Amino acid sequence: MARYIFWRLMRWIPGVIFLLFIVYALMFFGGGDPIQIMFSKEATDAFLPGNPRYEAVKEQLGLNRPFLVQFGDYLWKVMRGDFGISLNDSRPVAKSLFAALPITVSIALSATAIIAIVGIPLGVIAALNQNRWPDNLILSSALFFWGIPTFVAAPLLMMLFCWQFPILPVPRGWAGVFTVNAIIPLTVASIRPMALVIRQARSAVLDVLSEDYIRTARAKGLPEWVTIIKHALRPVLTPVITQMGVVMTNLLAGSLLLEIVFGIPGIGRLIRDGILNNDYSMLLGCTLVILALVTLTNLLVDISYPLLDPRLKQAQRGDV
Amino acid sequence: MASSSTTDTNSVPVLPAKEEKAIGIWQDSFGRLMKNRMAVLSIIIVLIMFFFAIFGPFLTPYDFLKQDLSIRSQPPSSEHWLGTDYLGRDVLSRVIYGARTATLVSLLVVVLSSFIGIVVGSISGYFGGKIDFFLMWFTDLNMAFPNLVLGVVLAVSLRPPLSRWMEQMYLSTANPGFRQSSLLDLALVVTVIVLVAWCPYARVLRSQVMAVRNHNYVLAARALGLSTFTIVVKYIIPNAIGPVIVQMSAGMGSAMLTESAFSFLGIGINPPIPSWGNMINESLRQWTSAPHLLAAPALVLGLMTVSFSFLGDGLNDALNPRQWKG
Repeated sequence: MARYIFWRLMRWIPGVIFLLFIVYALMFFGGGDPIQIMFSKEATDAFLPGNPRYEAVKEQLGLNRPFLVQFGDYLWKVMRGDFGISLNDSRPVAKSLFAALPITVSIALSATAIIAIVGIPLGVIAALNQNRWPDNLILSSALFFWGIPTFVAAPLLMMLFCWQFPILPVPRGWAGVFTVNAIIPLTVASIRPMALVIRQARSAVLDVLSEDYIRTARAKGLPEWVTIIKHALRPVLTPVITQMGVVMTNLLAGSLLLEIVFGIPGIGRLIRDGILNNDYSMLLGCTLVILALVTLTNLLVDISYPLLDPRLKQAQRGDV
Repeated sequence: MASSSTTDTNSVPVLPAKEEKAIGIWQDSFGRLMKNRMAVLSIIIVLIMFFFAIFGPFLTPYDFLKQDLSIRSQPPSSEHWLGTDYLGRDVLSRVIYGARTATLVSLLVVVLSSFIGIVVGSISGYFGGKIDFFLMWFTDLNMAFPNLVLGVVLAVSLRPPLSRWMEQMYLSTANPGFRQSSLLDLALVVTVIVLVAWCPYARVLRSQVMAVRNHNYVLAARALGLSTFTIVVKYIIPNAIGPVIVQMSAGMGSAMLTESAFSFLGIGINPPIPSWGNMINESLRQWTSAPHLLAAPALVLGLMTVSFSFLGDGLNDALNPRQWKG
């Protein structure tokens, strides 16, 4: 198992460092001069290149070192939880990130739960009614909701339920998952990626139903629901869990837009503020956190494979 | 994804043996596509949007930039069918012009990214080996992370160099076109989306090329001593292109979605040029007092992306009848 996890790590870690390198290089060479951005509110010439005060700040922040040294230094500091300071208000980026992270993660996790609880049964129902109306209805609605962008669904639902039929309060800010305000954001967050799970669950059930042991179970006279729940459902979970990495990617991208629509103070808001203020160190920190979240999900998916599917446990003893 | 229309799974050979049969395949696929009612409806909606995008300037009742502060944020009326926005501009004209923005961006993105994808995918699939390993590792990586986040990084960091370059071009050529910020926005948005969106094309084409490259006619072409370039361009790519077309339809929808998401975030097409994304963003500030401002671009954008999603699905069923994609 340790060897397996090691190889999985080796699959992801170089990739993440490579991406981080590209992102850092883009910000370093493409983005504006950090010192000029930091002091852009002070209308003086003191912070233009060549001025001694400018050079002093540059020296102090270590910005006159070569690119690779700065990148290495950044990686080293990030590993100890130091993400640098914001170019906008000079506060530590880590502080804002750690305040925003739990909110984004709790949205993502509860949306994942909703997706699993609603999406898997829908996929199973669709498969059991293959090519009949429940199947067509479920598949076309999944396709329909997959087509709607988050920042379209969010305001439209808000208009429908807070203004046209005012049964919910206008969601603003974030007070936790189990509040009335969370209903609309969580619905919007989960409805789009749910299509992925529905399709995956449906095709997995269709695959399983043609297996011999299902025929055996049916032949020995088991009730249909016992056959499905006891024998068909477990192998269905593996391909669905495989899909979780993609779901997480979509959830995170969606929650960025969602947080902006509903004023939720998560990572999405930080990215938005970073864009508005040209705050490169904040954007870098947010990108890094999102890369880490996606990687973590994919690693968990990889590790849970052999636990769910005993055939893979045998396979990984030999080679990865 | 499979739907009710894919019942005939084994009727069509994937590779045509003769030229005449190739036409047969396309006709067959077309017939299957036309049987899918949702796909036909989507095609009609998409064609209507193309019509508005091309002839928009002749159809808009007002100039999309003309402000009239005496009629700010008006509800729909007989003069302004969709009302006016917070600067008194006609919303219908802006929504129609938004179709132009969306279509232009997504067409450019699809053409450029499928071109890059075809080049990379055929190199990767034909040569294999280390190049293949690296390219596939890279596309895997790209596809594992949210395009939106990578796009934000690209858009924010490519803007300063691009605007410096355009300023320089203006100074050296004195062509006022280089001073238009809308042109800068357009170039930036297209570049960024192409950079994050070409990977699926490469992957799709690679797997097709790998399936095709060992066929006898490729071997024959090689035995004739044709150059690798000729073999790939004349014999391999035409036989591997089908799934790329499916991907192009899906890519058109997602390019439109990404463009509006970027404009929504303020890093895509910037006001005053209308894009559905920046119109949604602008009207979020006053959605309780003027909900029509929000509803109009949101509904149109939703309609378009949903249409592309159904069209892509229909094309997939029509062109890849054997594929039972989950």
